[in-house]
Amino acid sequence: MSKADELRRKAKQRRFFIQAALVGLSGFAVAGAFMTARTNLEAQGLTSGFGFLERSTGWDYSFSLVEKSIMDPYAQTLFVGFLNTLFVGFIAIFLTTLFGFIIGTARDASNIAVKSAATVYVQVFRNIPLILQLVFLYAVLINLPGPRQAMSMADTFFLSNRGLMMPGLSVTPGVAVALLLASIVLGVVLIWNKQPLLRGLLIWMGGSILLSLIVAAIMRPEGEALVSIPSLQGLRFRGGITVPIELFGMIVAITLYGSAYIAEVVRGGLAQVPRGLTEAGQALGLSTGQIWSRIKMPMALRSIIPPLGNQWIFMMKATTIGVAIGFSDLFYIVSISITQSGQTLELIAILAGAFLLVNGGLAVFTNWLNARMELKAH
Amino acid sequence: MLTKSSFLGIAAAALAMLPATAMAESPTVQQIKERGTLLCSGHNGSYFGFVEVNDKNEWKGLDIDLCRALTTAILGDPNANQIVPLSWAQRFPALQSGDVDVIIKATGWTMGRDTELGLQFSLPYFFGGTQFMAHGDLGITEAKDLEGGTICVEAGTTIERISANYLSTIGVEHTMVSYESAAELRAAYVANRCDAFAGWGPNLAVLRATEIDNPDAHVILSDQLSSEPISAAMRQGDEEFVDVVNWMLAAMLIAEEEGVTMANVEEMAANPPNPKVARLLGAEPGMGERLGLRDTWAREMIAAVGNFGEVYDRNLGANSPYNLDRGLNNLWSHGGVLYAPILD
Repeated sequence: MSKADELRRKAKQRRFFIQAALVGLSGFAVAGAFMTARTNLEAQGLTSGFGFLERSTGWDYSFSLVEKSIMDPYAQTLFVGFLNTLFVGFIAIFLTTLFGFIIGTARDASNIAVKSAATVYVQVFRNIPLILQLVFLYAVLINLPGPRQAMSMADTFFLSNRGLMMPGLSVTPGVAVALLLASIVLGVVLIWNKQPLLRGLLIWMGGSILLSLIVAAIMRPEGEALVSIPSLQGLRFRGGITVPIELFGMIVAITLYGSAYIAEVVRGGLAQVPRGLTEAGQALGLSTGQIWSRIKMPMALRSIIPPLGNQWIFMMKATTIGVAIGFSDLFYIVSISITQSGQTLELIAILAGAFLLVNGGLAVFTNWLNARMELKAH
Repeated sequence: MLTKSSFLGIAAAALAMLPATAMAESPTVQQIKERGTLLCSGHNGSYFGFVEVNDKNEWKGLDIDLCRALTTAILGDPNANQIVPLSWAQRFPALQSGDVDVIIKATGWTMGRDTELGLQFSLPYFFGGTQFMAHGDLGITEAKDLEGGTICVEAGTTIERISANYLSTIGVEHTMVSYESAAELRAAYVANRCDAFAGWGPNLAVLRATEIDNPDAHVILSDQLSSEPISAAMRQGDEEFVDVVNWMLAAMLIAEEEGVTMANVEEMAANPPNPKVARLLGAEPGMGERLGLRDTWAREMIAAVGNFGEVYDRNLGANSPYNLDRGLNNLWSHGGVLYAPILD
């Protein structure tokens, strides 16, 4: 064995030992913290463990996608909070991405009016803290007229300080959630098949609507119309879909804020496309729209997607502001569970675990999307 | 060494100071008499209706009036007291260390306080529980009418549990919105985000009177969801003092029952309509000596602050800005749960 080989082998061994020592040390620190917490809790006579998850909560909260009751155990209530967080998170991700691309493109426009409007938007919404925007928006929303004086559009859409009431398909909440999931899966499949952007969007929207109509026609409860329209009965609206004002406020606030960030990401991506390519397009006689969809966007996407994934993860974490206005997202459910059950450490661990799971998943999806969108020949 | 004559002198002096019977006087009452002042619990600010500071910088409220009544009973002067401002957390340590003689401050009687904290509680003088307040234009009078409504509540409180439990028991379908911050909760109710607001009854009445523009536009619903007994708290181990506080409360209730008021007390004392009133007002002996007090203590007390009904109306009820219905806090003979032990 040559001298160089031996030196290399030794360096490899050294690296291995350093890494092993680091892993051991971290493991030791974590175990130590765990043991200390356990001993201290026992010394104070506090019970630890996850047994409380099976006890019924006995308290109510505002929003749930599925049937809920105060008899539900903590585990189920936490799961409802998790679903609410996912629901708001994915709606916010979809809307911020859509508006972010539109506003980012406007920031890159040659028309001065469009460009300055987009700039003002980004500067205003990016520079004010999200929680402040939400609390302000909520204060405005709860001062809308009450349900009996609701603003109405064609007697089918109503906006009051209880929420937005609109016509909906007569399906149970469970079926509605399944339809939503099916629509997401359809979108992923379309990206997988590398459909062109516009055609993909058309297929996705058309497919989702058609699927919902067919399912609603088959699954609707007996004796009910295909579409149910909200109408005022007693203290509230019945029928249709009610978007509670808290949910409405959350979606609007997160969308306004997040769009400004994504617009900047998109603008950055567009700015990186070499000028020569745009000019080549113009020389070929392509329209502005064609240059955008066939030259600029495909080139820009490569640099947009990694920071976009970052923003998506941020949007998901931003749902935790629901606690400020009484929206029952996971963080809100966890914080009430802590005061009502006293199991602080366990609940914080559940909260952290849930966010790790979702945001880890989002990161994996972003990487996959990035690989999918790579320009292989470039 | 004492000579025989000086010993007799001291004994005679001691006898003259003692009431007629050889009953041991409460150490707390003795201290109060030596000091010439009764030390009562106040609040660090205003707890409206119970312990509050008016615009002339004077203490007032139901609990303050009870303190004045106790002062009159022991010292004969309603103003011979000192109100010590205390936070909620400070009240028990302050009692234990002797900074106050008694806590009369919207304090609930709980097992933990009675045992672990070494306190002794008086008869309950107030019952407060979870209630609903609703917007008046809805035409609602009881919780059953809330069908389909939205109810706001403070997150993480017992009120949240109690109201959810109650509405599910009576089968009222509703939406519950709970807020972490009390300010956010009030704003949401005032803005009509919710039809009703669940809270502690007296607090609802105070909120209605002080923070809402038009108090008449809000109704406190008749349902009483829970009830907490509110009592005066004293240090454990001074039974005679507990007797004094209990009979102070009892005398105010008996006075109300018998129609003795601040205005007619002297007249009633001069011409008692029955033996009970005669005993209560000291026209017949017996009321004072058994407690180590003057025979006329109840008469002086009612002349100074009035009977229980007058004190309630002045501070929480019809003659106060809060207009809180007496409900459970009425005499047993008027549909309430307040009663006095038997005056024999």
